Amino acid sequence: MKNHLQLSAQLGNLNLQADISFEHDFILVTGENGAGKTTLLRAIAGFEAVKGQLIVNHTVWLDSGSAFNLPTRKRKIGCLWSDPALLPWLSVKKNILFGCVVANEAWLQELAAALEVTHLMERRVAMLSTGEAQRIALARALYKKPKLLLLDEPLSAQAPALRQRLRKLLKSYWQQQEMTLIMVSHDPEDTKFLANQHWCMREGRLFAEVLHQPNRDVIYE
Amino acid sequence: MFESLMISLQLAFVTTSILLLIALPLAYLLAYRSFVGRTALEVVVALPLVLPPTVLGYYVLMMIAPHSPLGLLWQRLFDSSLAFSFSGMVFASVLYSLPFAVQPLQQAFRAIPKRWLEMAETEGLNVKQLFFQLLLPASKGGILVASALTFAHTMGEFGVVLMVGGSIPGETKVASIALFEMVEMQQQSDAWLLALVLLAISFVMLSLVYSVNQLGAQRLMHR
Repeated sequence: MKNHLQLSAQLGNLNLQADISFEHDFILVTGENGAGKTTLLRAIAGFEAVKGQLIVNHTVWLDSGSAFNLPTRKRKIGCLWSDPALLPWLSVKKNILFGCVVANEAWLQELAAALEVTHLMERRVAMLSTGEAQRIALARALYKKPKLLLLDEPLSAQAPALRQRLRKLLKSYWQQQEMTLIMVSHDPEDTKFLANQHWCMREGRLFAEVLHQPNRDVIYE
Repeated sequence: MFESLMISLQLAFVTTSILLLIALPLAYLLAYRSFVGRTALEVVVALPLVLPPTVLGYYVLMMIAPHSPLGLLWQRLFDSSLAFSFSGMVFASVLYSLPFAVQPLQQAFRAIPKRWLEMAETEGLNVKQLFFQLLLPASKGGILVASALTFAHTMGEFGVVLMVGGSIPGETKVASIALFEMVEMQQQSDAWLLALVLLAISFVMLSLVYSVNQLGAQRLMHR
């Protein structure tokens, strides 16, 4: 069963319309401010009341024809929004492990090193910079190895050099995990080098173009 | 005087403990769930705020009277009367202080950022995990305020405990009733001292409430 997204909704002033199939792609979503990019990600996550059909990883998540809507907590997705939503009473490490019953220390250390946050693990959230908080939230999203990752401008608060390293990390992660990654970005560099599918939002409507065939062996240098 | 003060403190402590257990899930329901009868439930919870204490006391007395179903059940289980007992006063106090526990908790739950709740959902937390790992730690201030208000309100009860407890010395005579009787019997110095102690307890409890609220407002400004 191919991944399929067919959604429609009137959300405030936005008329969301999307009908597209995709595989384990690295999809970049672009568009003007207010075009509905974040709303599209929220709809996929299950946070917006939408009609239509959503099939991901051979599983039906939404089928309004049969009034079926899989709760967000059962969709097993990883998300990163513009607000990192870190919990201030927990340390960085506990934020990354939030909701886990047993911690996989080796994977946690590997992830922390890759995201360059190893030195922050015991710190309180209030002591983090915006860029650090964003990387911690990214670590939390990646930790559970989700098969669908929704990222809303995940590199926006990073310095250019680090942003480049994180692009490599995201791409290699996507290649290794055989997963789908949908990422909103305004950065032309991301469009140029990261994705193999490009979705463009215009006034709530989704348009798609294939940028280039997915080449899982080549990491952007 | 000391005896009645201890009964008041015991009543306030037991009522607060029981009410927290009841009010936490109730506040969760009222803050996040929509269901048939939600408004009616909210009205019932808030009713003790406007109802004369004697009216509430009268209805509670009817509910726990020896020949009522609840009174009979209690008699069968514990071989004692629920009316005019400490347990009866606890039952009445729990109902009377219900809004003082539920409403601060409801407000605290509603003040939790939506992003945190959504993050918990994407991380796959079930209701139990959500309650213990997010709602409770995020509502510490609200829990403290609810506890302080419930405690202070129970300490100051008069009408309800008089109707349900009946002012039995050493058993149901609480500090507020003892004070009333001291004034009636012209024991001015004892009355003065007891009133001062009750005033001090209320002052400390309300100071705690306002400090927590101020701290919460400061955190909100810096968020």
